This record gives sequence, structure tokens and C-alpha cells, in this order.
Amino acid sequence: MNKAKERNRMLIGYALALPAFLTVMLTVAYPIVSNVIMSFQDEGTGAFTLDNYKYFFTTPAQLKNIGFTLYIVVMTVVLAVVIAYLLALYLRFIKSPISKAIGTLYLLPRFIPGLVAVYAMITIIRDSGVINRISLLFGYDFKPALMYHASGMIMMNLWFNIPFAALMITAGLGAIPDSVIESARDVGASKLRVFRSIILPLSVKDVVIAGTFVFMSNVGSFTTPYLMGGNSPKMLAIALFDQFNKYLNYNRAAALSVIMFLICSVSAGVYIYTNLKENEWE
Amino acid sequence: MFKYLNPKRFYFAVGKKKFWEFIVLAVFILFFYGPLLNMFMIAFANEYAPPHLLATEWGLKWWQFIFGQKSLVSSMVQSFVIAIITTVCSMILCIPAAYSLARFKYPGRKLIMLSFLLTNAFPKIGIFTSIGVLFYKYNLMGTLVGVVIIHMINSMMFMVWLPSSAFRTVHPQQEEAARDVGAGPIRTFFKVSLPMAMPGIAVATLYTFLGSMEEAQGTLLVGLAKIKTMPVEMYGIILDYPGQAGAVFGILLMIPALIMIIAMRKYIGPDAIAGGFKMG
Repeated sequence: MNKAKERNRMLIGYALALPAFLTVMLTVAYPIVSNVIMSFQDEGTGAFTLDNYKYFFTTPAQLKNIGFTLYIVVMTVVLAVVIAYLLALYLRFIKSPISKAIGTLYLLPRFIPGLVAVYAMITIIRDSGVINRISLLFGYDFKPALMYHASGMIMMNLWFNIPFAALMITAGLGAIPDSVIESARDVGASKLRVFRSIILPLSVKDVVIAGTFVFMSNVGSFTTPYLMGGNSPKMLAIALFDQFNKYLNYNRAAALSVIMFLICSVSAGVYIYTNLKENEWE
Repeated sequence: MFKYLNPKRFYFAVGKKKFWEFIVLAVFILFFYGPLLNMFMIAFANEYAPPHLLATEWGLKWWQFIFGQKSLVSSMVQSFVIAIITTVCSMILCIPAAYSLARFKYPGRKLIMLSFLLTNAFPKIGIFTSIGVLFYKYNLMGTLVGVVIIHMINSMMFMVWLPSSAFRTVHPQQEEAARDVGAGPIRTFFKVSLPMAMPGIAVATLYTFLGSMEEAQGTLLVGLAKIKTMPVEMYGIILDYPGQAGAVFGILLMIPALIMIIAMRKYIGPDAIAGGFKMG
């Protein structure tokens, strides 16, 4: 009797989860698999070939694109996580009207449409933008040279990712009880010691989660380089868009997206590992 | 009052700690809000030529320009229709799944949970081009259905994970209590579990709706210039249109987000948002 009931519950569970699961399988997993197959096929004949990959690893311009993308993404991840960590520490441990204000204000950028933020930043950093106009007030004609350069894109990425990373880390730091820190302080631990042996280990999981998400979302970032990037070298998302939309070479596009998937899967692996390691609700 | 304009006097007036806090606040606001405020100012500028920092002539010239463009106005309607369809479809599909993952135990549950990471673990543009090839095959390129599918994929992870972690915080005893006094499983779900998980669901819904409103790259790729939402038009405006049109359109794009945030502000907090990025 009880066993039948349990089986029934199991079936209901499956029935409820199935529609969403099938949607993901059909609209994401299946395209990815067929994409991987396509990447090994010749454009004309459909025969097996490695040429699509060879193209991206032997053409200098394409190699440069890959290096350029990795450079921007790594810089973004490192800077965003470090700054976000400092910001999160500030928000967690200093209680003042100002930190409260920042604690509210930093939630908003997540809800600003990406495109709008990029446009707004362009009005600041373009050659006739605000920075240039301020310098003109002081009698210089300073052109920030951020548009169409890596540094401009990194700056934009920081705008998007610092609030996000800080949010993830703040949520983690918030879970550390004050009593733990106070008792450590009571027995004479220095601030640095408390940070090193309590705060850092307890928040490292959230730092990793934040870092991996920043990594994954930036490898394929499109809007920022589409509007701010130069013609060469390009971010991979733009190179992919070109292959798909301009050259209509779907097999090469497939190969390039597989390359991007592989770059991301490294960080997805790290993410899954940290997430599954301590899952106590099972 | 003016003495505070001198940094040194300001430093001694408010004290060392406060002084640095003010610096942090100033840098924070300049970097994160400066661009937006500047855009806001530009939108109301009829004349905004260098080297002037502020508009030399104020007015609504560019607002009239935007609302005079038929294609731009119709893109606003299209955006709303698509966002509503996407949100409703996504809720119907994902909330049962979230509930199932939170409450039922069965083999393969973790795998199902993990499968939703697929939508966010890989570069969107790569997924979109992969889907695009299949869409060509099934004639979904440039159709409403195609665009809605793309928008749904974008937010499925949040739509499952966030409500799921919200359902998990509802104590099973509370559901059992309702069952004990005679409520059926469906009634229990709608009267007990759903209202208690509402904060998580609200944030997820907000994400889905706003995500759809601002989805740009996928719509650009799959919409083939036939389905033009506001963000797709915005690309064109930034790259091709003159002057301050982009600032006006940018503000129009931000309005739905601002309204939703104000309406749901009590649900939005670091914990609620962070929950969407964690499986456990």
C-alpha cells in the first residue's frame, strides 16, 4: 500500500517536471548536439572534416579573436570579483547610512537593459562624450580612447558584473553569523586573522560561483562588443554572428560555437563541482 | 555650507572614516549612475554640441521624433506582447517543475535540475546560432513562436531554480496541516504553498518579463528584421539614428524595468536574487 503511494508520488513528480525538462532538451540540448555534429561536417558534401576547426586555429585573425576574448574575459573576472569582494565586505561589516544606500543602489544596474547601459556609457566615453567635454572645460582636449578598445569593453563589463558579483558575495557573507566573528575577536584574533580563517573560507564558494557566472556570461557577450568593439580583433560572439549572418557559413559558425562552449564548459565544470560538493538539502 | 567644498576641511569636518565612505559613495555613483543620469539629461536636450557639458537648448524635440516614427512605436507594442506571452508560457512550464524539484524525490532529479543550467552555462549567442540552424529547417525564423522560444530559454533557469528554492523554504508541515483539515492537494498548493513561495516566484517572474523586454541579440538573430522588438530597434538607433534619439529610446526601454522594480521592491533583495544562481 505504502509502496504504491510512494510510486504514485514519484510519477506525479516526474509529470510536473517533464514539460520544462523536455523544453530544455528540445530547444537547447538538441540544437547543441546537432550543432556539434554540424561542426565536423563539410559545408558542401556533409562529409566528416576537421577543416571548420582548423580554420579558427590557423587563421591569424581568428586566433587573435580567441586571444582577445580570453584577455577581456579574464581581466573582467579578476577585476570584477576583487572589487565586488571589497564592496561586499564593506556592505556586510560597516553599518552606516551610506553603506545602506549603496546596498540598495547596487541592485538596480541588474535591471537596466544591457543595451541602454551600453548606450549611456558611450555618451560618457566617446570622443565627444562627457570625459572629453570636462577636459575641454579645463582647456585640454583629452580623448579617452576607450571606444573601440579593449579597456572600454572591460569597463563596460565591470559596470554589468560588479553589482552582480557583489550581490552573490554579499548573500554569502550575510550567512556568516556575527556571533562567530565576535567570539573569534573576543579570544583575541586580529581583524586580518578573522578575515583569513573565518570570512574567506566561508565565502569562497560564493566567490567561485560569482566568478564562474561572470566568466560564462562574458565569453559570449554580444551587445557590448557589437556597439563598442572595434573591427579587429573582435570578440568571439561578434565573429560568430558574422559567420552566421554575414558569411552564411553555418558549419564554421557551428565550429566556433563549439569552441566557445568548450571555453565555457571549463568554468561550468567548476561551478557544478562547487555546487554539488555541499548540497545538504538532499 | 561652502566649507565642505574644500576636501581638506571636509575631511576634518566629518572624520576619517566618513570621509572615505563618502569617497566610495561618490565613485560608486559616478561610475554606476553617472552614465544613466547623463543619458537622462541628453534625452531632454534639443541642442547638445561639444564642448558644452549641459544641453544648450532644452526641449522635447527628440521625443517627438521618436513618437513620430511608426516602426518605433509598433516595436513597443510588439515588445510588450512578446514579453507577456513569454512570461505566461514560462510560468506554466516552469513553476510545476520547480515545485516537483522542491517537494518530490525521484531518481534523476538532480539531472533535471542541472539541465536548466544548460541555458545559462553556455554562451547565449552560440545557443542561438545552433537553434537558428534548426529554425531555418522548421521555418521558425522570423516568426513570433521562434522569438518566444528564444526568450523563454533565456530565463528558464531562474524560473525553475528561484521558485524551487522558495518552495523548499515552505515547511512540509504547513502543507500537511492544510491537508489534515481537508484541503485537496491542488487547493493546498494554491492556498498554502504558492502564496508562501510568492517572493521567489515574484522575482523569477520579474526576471522573465524584464529579460524578455531587453532580450536583444537572440531577437536580432532569429527575428530576421521581421520581428522587431524595442531592443532590436535600439541597435539600429544607436548605430544609425542621429543625435539624441538613442537617449530617448533608452529611457523608454528602462521604464518597464523601473515600474516593475517599484511594484515589487519588497521582494527584491540580495538573497532572493542570488537564489536564482544556486542549485542548493
